Amino acid sequence: MEADGEEIALRCTGIERRFHGVVAVTGIDVAIAKGEIFGLVGPNGSGKTTLVNAITGFFPPSSGEIRLNEKVTTGLAPYRIASLGVARTFQNLALFNGLTVLDNILLGRHIHMRPSVWRTALYWWAAQAEEAANREKVEEIIEFMQLESVRDELVDDIPIGVKKRIELARALASEPSLLILDEPMAGMNQEETEYMARFILDARDERDVTVLLIEHQMDVITGICDRVLALNYGEMIATGTPSEVVSDPRVVEAYIGGSREPV
Amino acid sequence: MFYRLSGVRHFSYTGDRSLYRIPFERNAALALLAAAILAPWIIGELTLTSLVQPWLIWTSAALGLNLVVGWAGQLHLGYAAVMGVGAYAGTHAARSGVPWEIAIVLAGFASMVIGSVFSIAALRVKGLYLALTTLAMQFVIDWSIVHLSVVSGGALASLRAPDMSLLGFEINGTAGLYYVALAWCVLVTIFMMNLRRSALGRALMAVREKDYAAEIIGVRSFVFKLVAFAASSFIAGVSGAVLIATYYHIVTPDQFSTQVSIQVLAMVIVGGLGSIIGTYLGTALILIMPGLVAALFHGATELFDLRIGVETLAHLPNAAYGALIMGCLLWEPLGLGRLYHNMRSYLIAWPFGYLKK
Repeated sequence: MEADGEEIALRCTGIERRFHGVVAVTGIDVAIAKGEIFGLVGPNGSGKTTLVNAITGFFPPSSGEIRLNEKVTTGLAPYRIASLGVARTFQNLALFNGLTVLDNILLGRHIHMRPSVWRTALYWWAAQAEEAANREKVEEIIEFMQLESVRDELVDDIPIGVKKRIELARALASEPSLLILDEPMAGMNQEETEYMARFILDARDERDVTVLLIEHQMDVITGICDRVLALNYGEMIATGTPSEVVSDPRVVEAYIGGSREPV
Repeated sequence: MFYRLSGVRHFSYTGDRSLYRIPFERNAALALLAAAILAPWIIGELTLTSLVQPWLIWTSAALGLNLVVGWAGQLHLGYAAVMGVGAYAGTHAARSGVPWEIAIVLAGFASMVIGSVFSIAALRVKGLYLALTTLAMQFVIDWSIVHLSVVSGGALASLRAPDMSLLGFEINGTAGLYYVALAWCVLVTIFMMNLRRSALGRALMAVREKDYAAEIIGVRSFVFKLVAFAASSFIAGVSGAVLIATYYHIVTPDQFSTQVSIQVLAMVIVGGLGSIIGTYLGTALILIMPGLVAALFHGATELFDLRIGVETLAHLPNAAYGALIMGCLLWEPLGLGRLYHNMRSYLIAWPFGYLKK
């Protein structure tokens, strides 16, 4: 599927990923335009996370090609892909315990900083200015995500809804061009879900990121996504606007089962 | 009580990240430093050379180990061997006429090279496997030191280190040697304090907590683990050379045995992983505890006329010492540093304990 005449942020061509005999995803062709919020849906085990892992370099695709801003990134190590502007959050949270909220978000700035032993040893002359400059960027994000009140607390002691926000803040701190959100609303109540949806929309509008969103709550998908791709058993079954995809008979069948033909 | 956050305001990000955010703590640290500088006039010569000076040297060494174990989260059981490399390198360099100030730096680099080479191999595995690989490194280096007579001069030989002199000044007398140890300890401490607020320190902690999440934000786990091992090996090497130059004065193979590795690890664990003040406290406890326990048992045997054999008596301190480590781990896994931290957060709010922090 092709977005019409726009700049492409992420283009996947013929992605296939096998784990020995198991084909986790196959034949994925997708192009996400810059500034889009692109939904990725499908039942459990349909290959959503595998596709994300292929894009971020954790499990490179067995075949196919991934281009980020028209630059081939297939097979690069995760830290290289991160430095090219891909940030993600995890389904079951991956914050760094034992660190404060501030330090967690500062870690999001890692690719913009130059950590080294001698800069640490000569902190006042070699690192202080850099730390302050990056702190300023982080404070912008903290204000944007409304995290001022927990800035100096350890992430261990923070409720899960806020943790999800901190993780999104850490991802945004790296100033990514592509932001991958793996079920950012999982385990949230209605109010927190609406807040998160608002943050995602604002991130797209104000911080110029393209969003790839995995989510199970269909009202979120139909509410904020521009286009949606549905997967089942590792294959694409439907693409298009949210309303088209949600009413597609194959998607309905994948989620709630179809009528069975008499044998 | 003494620590008050009210009225303490920082108006710049640099100020907010200063080494001590609370003026009272900064003043207390400065007072401690002043006391340390005046120590030769305050406390007796025996206490200074037999307690304070080894405490400072072993604290510098333990801080280096804490960098790997506490910050980067990698278990290291071969730390004494790395110190040994530095001790021998420094002594040999000084014996062949290299000035001590250069010999000490050379010792650091020798340890760094050997420590990094071993860790490139060791870091391919994680957790307990890494612990075993570093233990193997301890044995390989021990064996090499003993069996290469070029290095040790033979299994039973001891090498005398030349007298200390820095920048052309002869350093003799207890005060001078004490100041060398103090200077090194202060340097390592300042480095570790900077680590706590620098990008490198954060990256190391990210690797310790979740290496996959570290990769996703662009931190190369392997490289940062290697950096941690290299930096800690440098600190180990210099500490080993300083230990020989200012305290032992002769170097023998058994000064840096497996037992010493375990002892330094105990200093770090009892003191508290990732805690600087904890490392000071843990080192003090591990250094004085065997002596205290021995004195206690000797006193008890005389007081109650217990007929404990000499051999049992020799082993009892070791048992008590082991029990202490286990007790620390059971009741306060983050060690003495955590106890200090709890006391501090209690005092900050006192007497309004219902307030947070």
